[in-house]
Amino acid sequence: MRLTSRSVQNTGIPTASMADIAFLLIIFFMVTISFEVDKTQVTLPKTDIRIEIPKQAAYVSVSPNGTIRVSNGEEISVFVPGPDEVLSFAAGVVQNDPSKPFVLKADRDVPYRYVDGVIDALKQAKAQVIYLLSNQETVDSAGAGDE
Amino acid sequence: MKIKKPKVSEEIPTSSMADIAFLLIVYFMVTTTFAATRGLDFSLPPEDDTPPMVEKEEAVLIDIQAGGIYLVDQKPMLLSEILEYLKPKLERNPKKPVIIRPQPNAEYGYMVNVFDELRQAEDKIGMKVQNISIPTQREIDMFWF
Repeated sequence: MRLTSRSVQNTGIPTASMADIAFLLIIFFMVTISFEVDKTQVTLPKTDIRIEIPKQAAYVSVSPNGTIRVSNGEEISVFVPGPDEVLSFAAGVVQNDPSKPFVLKADRDVPYRYVDGVIDALKQAKAQVIYLLSNQETVDSAGAGDE
Repeated sequence: MKIKKPKVSEEIPTSSMADIAFLLIVYFMVTTTFAATRGLDFSLPPEDDTPPMVEKEEAVLIDIQAGGIYLVDQKPMLLSEILEYLKPKLERNPKKPVIIRPQPNAEYGYMVNVFDELRQAEDKIGMKVQNISIPTQREIDMFWF
């Protein structure tokens, strides 16, 4: 008796849709990409209220040791020696766009005197709104604030 | 003699497309950062050389000291107790000014905690703290009396 030949199993992985998936991923990353203008490593304070910060906002960052960096929201942040330079930077930004929002990205453990100097400079430069950059408050950290 | 015509492929070569696509994916995956782009908004009043004078006694003063010690009108309080303390005062005067005054050596995070707590007054005690002020040291030196 002649045996019928076994059905041939296809051993290859189907790759026809791989290109579609790859391009879908490329489009996703292209749409969501946002280049951070300031890469200062800080531990942000945690808050319950978190409002979306407008894109292209100017950044002032204060690192844990009080180092200040500024960015107009379009260029990578640069180091400035102190609040006087923040004032001249902010005055220039406000002159170009009086309603430009500023983002204060400060470490939660930085002594307040450093932040005070920055806020004062922004006030003197007639900034209209400052966003205090924060992280999401979690259940674990919610009680920690009381201690 | 027969001359052979060179064969021209009519198809676009796509063998390297997947390589290029994955190279792009890897590039975007490495450079993309899901940055924290949310925070507390803090509107500043227009700069005024003669701001309205508020009697120190009229306002509630929240003094923040290093280590997260909150002194509300000189009384030590927990963060969660501040709104309860403010409630009767706001009922009498909804525009009661609240001044947040962190000490120079106090950590910034504690100021943000207090500001966040005051901003949630509407949800927690049903009343909004309309008048929150965080004066800077220069303003305190200029206008504090």
